[in-house]
Amino acid sequence: MAKTTKSQARTKRERSEFLWGWLFILPTTIGLIVLNIIPIFQTIYQSFFKTGDFGKGNIFIGLQNYQKVFADKEIWQALINTFKYAIVEVPFSIAIALVLAVLLNRKMRGRSVYRTIIFLPMVAAPAAVAMVWRWLFNSDYGLINNVFHVHVNWVSDPKIAVFSVAIIGVWSIIGYNMVLFLSGLQEIPRDYYEAASIDGATGVNAFFNITIPLLSPTIFFVLVTRVIGSLQVFDLIYMVIDKSNPALTKTQSLVYLFYKYAFINKNMGYGATIVVVLLIITMILTVFQMIGQKKWVFYN
Amino acid sequence: MNFKRVAALLLTGAMVMTAVPVYAKGDDVTLSVSIWDSNQEPGIKEILADFTEKTGIKTEISVVKWDEYWTMLEAGAQGGSLPDVFWMHSNESERYMSNDMLLDLTDKIKDSDLIDPENYPEDIWGLYTYDDKYYAVPKDIDTIALWYNKTLFDEAGLDYPTADWTWDDVTEAAKKLTKDDGSQYGLGMRNDNNQAGYYNLIFDNGGYIISDDKTKSGWDDEKTIAAMQTLEGWIKDGVMPSLETMSENNEDVLFEAGKIAMTCQGSWMLAAFKENEYTAANCDCVELPKNAETGRRASLYNGLGWAASASGEHTEEAWQLIEYLGSKEAQEKQAELGVTMSAYKDTSDAWAKSADFNLQAYLNMMDDMEIRPYSKSTVTWENEDNEILKGVYTGDITMEEACKQMADQMNEKLAEE
Repeated sequence: MAKTTKSQARTKRERSEFLWGWLFILPTTIGLIVLNIIPIFQTIYQSFFKTGDFGKGNIFIGLQNYQKVFADKEIWQALINTFKYAIVEVPFSIAIALVLAVLLNRKMRGRSVYRTIIFLPMVAAPAAVAMVWRWLFNSDYGLINNVFHVHVNWVSDPKIAVFSVAIIGVWSIIGYNMVLFLSGLQEIPRDYYEAASIDGATGVNAFFNITIPLLSPTIFFVLVTRVIGSLQVFDLIYMVIDKSNPALTKTQSLVYLFYKYAFINKNMGYGATIVVVLLIITMILTVFQMIGQKKWVFYN
Repeated sequence: MNFKRVAALLLTGAMVMTAVPVYAKGDDVTLSVSIWDSNQEPGIKEILADFTEKTGIKTEISVVKWDEYWTMLEAGAQGGSLPDVFWMHSNESERYMSNDMLLDLTDKIKDSDLIDPENYPEDIWGLYTYDDKYYAVPKDIDTIALWYNKTLFDEAGLDYPTADWTWDDVTEAAKKLTKDDGSQYGLGMRNDNNQAGYYNLIFDNGGYIISDDKTKSGWDDEKTIAAMQTLEGWIKDGVMPSLETMSENNEDVLFEAGKIAMTCQGSWMLAAFKENEYTAANCDCVELPKNAETGRRASLYNGLGWAASASGEHTEEAWQLIEYLGSKEAQEKQAELGVTMSAYKDTSDAWAKSADFNLQAYLNMMDDMEIRPYSKSTVTWENEDNEILKGVYTGDITMEEACKQMADQMNEKLAEE
């Protein structure tokens, strides 16, 4: 008798846990499904249509949008621009953030002040960040050109504009990456470093042989999210590069083109096709990274 | 335990309740009004306040920047949540009208004592008419004039531009006003300054942008190309800042900084130049130059319209507001406040006195006007034109090649309409 009540109680408890568990993740799940997952499929669906005004009168055209995308030089150039941006933003934002995280992980005066300062750009609105940098980079009235007495068209010279934008990207993301690395560093036991220093390892040795391998899961996570994030760059380019800027064709990213076609030219179908292509590229890159991680990421 | 549950439920309930917006009940109607120009906001607000005083209908204005404005409106139209009353522009009006997004005002205008189509320019009605139905009431009218910096002209020892100037005079003066060290240029006209800029040159020379039946581009017309070659000359002569510079600091910014001596600007720029201390003290405006051969001095013009949402909840009140905004009283007030020139006939004299510039020039430009070229997909081909023109500024292609390319892409897009 006593046994049965106990088992009944357990199932009741289990059921209640099950129920409450689902109840608690329900809001997030609903949000995810309504705001992310359904739109993904709608976007894919839309990419097969020549869309009419205000979502009315869509005409099915099969793969024509895709044929147009692959034949469009503008799209290929945008892809190159996006990669150029990513190639600067991802490695630099990770390397600098990693070094900063290691330096700020030690006991030192004003540690939290430094951490706050470096994290601050993350708190600022991207539009505000872009406006400030746009002024810094301004060729005639900008601070950078005036302080160094040079005349460089930082954001309107087609050759360098995309890298200038990437610098802004690095600057604004370092703080976030650093916080992730700091939390990863807390996980590494101090014993390893003590043992290493007894064996005569220098700080640099310890960094490469202890810190990086043991931090590799965090580095991997940051790498994957940053690659995805940089492929989606839009706001910085939109804010910094004006429509009449001669460097626009050499800086516009795929998402920028998506915005242009979907929201300015009101060609939703073509815009949808561009983001589907971006989604596929992102997925391929991520798969390669997942395969590649086996070679360098160590899980305890 | 039970108490906790009840408390939790109550709290959740309260959260849900607060998330639901509280709608005004009964007669207490508030109309949402959307515009894109923050320079005009203070004046429009005053006029809206008058309306509320008269009718008891409240209004709530929101200003969204041009680019985002159309994104917002598009989403609103698609989702059935357009603002009650908003500005319409010729670039987009046809799409909205042909898809029944705007409230049909035809019968209401017929019955109205305040609004008689006779009192507004016919072409502006044309922008907001579809299938012989009216979808908006004209709000304003704009023309173009030449702005110049008196101080820079004095320094160079030149006479100020007059109404008798030709475009060749502009070229001559621009050369003399340009300094070799790049600290000052004679003129600024950016690749995307069509309505206030090169379109005027084209019409002066007898060229055109789009055929009357909206099927053919006029970019490859000989006269159009010849007019655009004037602009090419300015680029080659170096009397304008580089496109790099102009893209980072637009013409009006460079003009306000005394970096360019002349610029063609629309009447909608008055608020900005009036507020700016430098331009208020040093600058003035004059009628656009003429074409030396044809003698024509045309001004591009355009006018916004006040439109209402077809699916709005308060269409009756929205119409009352539009009727008031289009009435002589409100149109006069708009001019007096210096918001813009008004569309209502003969109300703009008040506007000309609203600032210490030679604003009569803008009114004189109304003698020969051409409506801003438009079709259903204006935005698409205009943006592409601007993109192609960049190549001329950077020296990659000649103006003639650019014009041919612009004609091709435009014809292609017009065929798809």
